[in-house]
Amino acid sequence: MLRVENLTKVYPNGTQALKNVSFEVKDGDFLAVIGLSGSGKSTLLRCINRLIEPTSGKIYWDDQDITSASSREMRKIRRQIGMVFQQFNLVKRSSVMTNVLTGRLGYVNTFSSALHLFSAADNNKALASLEQVGLADKPHVRADSLSGGQQQRVGIARALMQDPKLILADEPVASLDPVLSHSIMKYLEQLNKERGITVLCSLHFLDLVHRYATSAIALKDGELVFQGLPKQIDDTEFKAIYGQEAERVSIL
Amino acid sequence: MAKTERNTQSSILAVFASLILPGLGQLLSKKRSRAVLVFITTIILTFLVNWSLVHQNIGKIQLGNWATSWLWLPLVLFWVWNILDAWALSAKKSINPLFGILVVSIILYVIAWNVTAVKFNRLIERFGDARIVATNLVNPDLITINEKGQDKICAWSCMYGFIGDKLAGHPVAGPIRVSDNLLQIIGSMKPMPVPRWLVSLGLATPGSNIKVFAAGSMIQTIAMGLLATLFSTILALPISFLAARNIMARLQGGAVIYYLARGFLNVVRAIDTIVWGLIVVVWVGLGPFAGVIALTIHSTAALGKLFSEEIEHIDTGPVEALTATGANLIQVIRYGIIPQIVPSFLSYSLLRWDINMRSATVIGFVAGGGIGFFVIENVRMGGYQQYAAALWAVVVVIILVDYISGKWRESILRDQVQKDDTKKQPLLSYLRLAFFIIMGLLAFIYCWNLSQISIRGLFSPGSNFGQLIKDFVMIDLTPSVLQPTIQQMIVTIFQAFLATTLGALFALPFSFLAAKNLTGRSRLSAWIYYLTRSMFNFLRSIEALLYVVLFIFWVGVGPFAGMLALAVTSFALIGKLFSESIENIETGPIEAVNATGANRLQMIVYAILPQITPPFISYLLYQWDINVRMATIIGFAGGGGIGLTLTTFFGSLQYHKAGTVVFFIVIVVALMDFASAKLRQSLV
Repeated sequence: MLRVENLTKVYPNGTQALKNVSFEVKDGDFLAVIGLSGSGKSTLLRCINRLIEPTSGKIYWDDQDITSASSREMRKIRRQIGMVFQQFNLVKRSSVMTNVLTGRLGYVNTFSSALHLFSAADNNKALASLEQVGLADKPHVRADSLSGGQQQRVGIARALMQDPKLILADEPVASLDPVLSHSIMKYLEQLNKERGITVLCSLHFLDLVHRYATSAIALKDGELVFQGLPKQIDDTEFKAIYGQEAERVSIL
Repeated sequence: MAKTERNTQSSILAVFASLILPGLGQLLSKKRSRAVLVFITTIILTFLVNWSLVHQNIGKIQLGNWATSWLWLPLVLFWVWNILDAWALSAKKSINPLFGILVVSIILYVIAWNVTAVKFNRLIERFGDARIVATNLVNPDLITINEKGQDKICAWSCMYGFIGDKLAGHPVAGPIRVSDNLLQIIGSMKPMPVPRWLVSLGLATPGSNIKVFAAGSMIQTIAMGLLATLFSTILALPISFLAARNIMARLQGGAVIYYLARGFLNVVRAIDTIVWGLIVVVWVGLGPFAGVIALTIHSTAALGKLFSEEIEHIDTGPVEALTATGANLIQVIRYGIIPQIVPSFLSYSLLRWDINMRSATVIGFVAGGGIGFFVIENVRMGGYQQYAAALWAVVVVIILVDYISGKWRESILRDQVQKDDTKKQPLLSYLRLAFFIIMGLLAFIYCWNLSQISIRGLFSPGSNFGQLIKDFVMIDLTPSVLQPTIQQMIVTIFQAFLATTLGALFALPFSFLAAKNLTGRSRLSAWIYYLTRSMFNFLRSIEALLYVVLFIFWVGVGPFAGMLALAVTSFALIGKLFSESIENIETGPIEAVNATGANRLQMIVYAILPQITPPFISYLLYQWDINVRMATIIGFAGGGGIGLTLTTFFGSLQYHKAGTVVFFIVIVVALMDFASAKLRQSLV
């Protein structure tokens, strides 16, 4: 279980990205995080694995306090939390296989990984992860020779290598053609349903939220303005989250 | 009404402010950079006019009993211009800066002309000497002919005659062979005692000789350049991570390491390879090894800076992703950063290889070893034809290196993605890899031996070295050191200033000829294009120090010779950069101007000049920056300036004085670097 209590983040330039945000995510949930650009979604996800240091507040993961973990403990926690990024964040010049194997770095020792020595088990695991996302035939091509959708699937395979209990997905489909959105979301859904991995996913399109999420929270200017089931987001809620000017758009 | 009154008031205020303190009026109108520029210019000019009057009697005029400098007049005019400028700015207008620039230029050029002892008449009066040198230069000592039992240099005319006789079936004047001089440059087969391993293998009898290739000074130079590049790349790698802000920000106390590393790189980089050569010689003694160390030190600092900037500009996405997987800092660097920086690091190393090869041709002037040492020895004995042969060898090698390095960098930076990964033959690629590794290792060992690298020498410094280190950090600011240092520093800066001007003036017309997009499509213009380009490349492949040797013979030892040498290198580099920026202009405006029926000259004035002025000025500042660095060392070959002071102090073992001079060089070079970068930034 993930519990966030009174999380606040103020950036050095004075921007208040999160204000007293508290919520809970049960194991096995698929939680959608919605809100306008700049509402604090990315900051929230990055505070959970402390890529961004929270200013105040607490985050508990299975009753362990993430916010007070030492850097060594933090690396142990991070390896259980996979992350999928809007811009995929692959090492473009490295092969697909190497990119996937990097998901294992938190588990292997520094010396052998510096020499690019991975165990046979890790190599097989990487191939299996690639197969899971339908890229079994591409391990040795360079990452930047793949299409955007394929690159994001490599990103998911990399997260799988961590044997994650939680996946943080930061706008995983926002840089892709809308028609490809479902293909990526389906992989995340599959991991959530079949392996019981908890997923926190920030999304733009309400359609996707209704279709995939089991629960949802909404942020507006850094504050939590909604918490509940996706179907509870009706027109009034929608206007409250996105503002009076907003109109619903849908994809497929 | 009230508004105009307030305007008049602020105008009067601005005029008064600038009258009292130049730039203050501009500051009141909120033109900060302009105010700073005007203020600094006034200070520097005041100092220079006064200094040149007191120490050099420049511009001295006698008014009755009162001696003063007429250069105060343009300074007063500049002051007046500054007041007018402040007045115009306060009225939200602007006046032409041309007048201000003009009076400043008058002061600068008059002083530059005098301190660099420009004597253009010498170029003509001593033309006879120059002709002798020129004749020698175009007739290098490459071939020897044995005429009636006597060896003579067989230059072009002799070669022509020889070949003519041969073809016509006439008896030739005598047998010819490659000259000993050329053999010294390239190398020759020499009998050597058989090594023991050959004997023990039963391949040779003990005590006998075999012929072994003994490398000449040019081959040694190549080896020095290669090794220095390899060593400096390896050394610069770890340093560059310490000098990268984004890496150090992830470590506790990293900011301190960052500033230390950056400062270290900047100081080391400000001291030229040649100056390092002087220091290293005291450490390990004369020889190619000293040259390699000197090249390595400077090149490490230069690469360290470039590398660290490259690390700071990487894509942070993968770094974030790897951190999120729980990887530690070393793993993040290994998998997230290194793959990103490999191509640009390789390309910088190749660029540095090119630069190191050029420096390696002259490091022998002070450190011994390589073609530079060969040149110094021959020039001392007046062997200009031997020197000429060395110059030709340098030109060939450097142009080749320049070409290879350029092509290689191009293909690295293109960084092509291989789409098909299926058709790979692992065995073949492994064999190829093994072949390259073995060849590389052999070349490395050969270069190592040739450069006389000795690890032991590194740890057993010469007897004076301890004293040098101790004295070097004692900055001596007594007048006996300070005065000649400041004087020569000013000479050095003005040498660079004048050389940049001269080089640019001559380069400007030629750069248009060397721009592919302007020279038409006819065969003649293609010829002109290739000729001009080749001339730039040819002149650029020879280091300024090698030119100094020529100009000394022509105009005599002194700052003028050094300035001319710098002018030639500036001409070549500026010409190349100018013509490239002409080639990069947009064609749209040219098309539009041509469409109006304009002729070629009108096209240049209206469509091209406005586009190329900013990059040209930026290149001029860049060249001036380079020239100040170069001017600090041309004194080693008799080109005057601070280098002369430095060698004098070094030669007389006055290391504390030498340390002070180096200290000043670091400060001036760093200041120039900073100022030129700032000015260029504001231009682009």
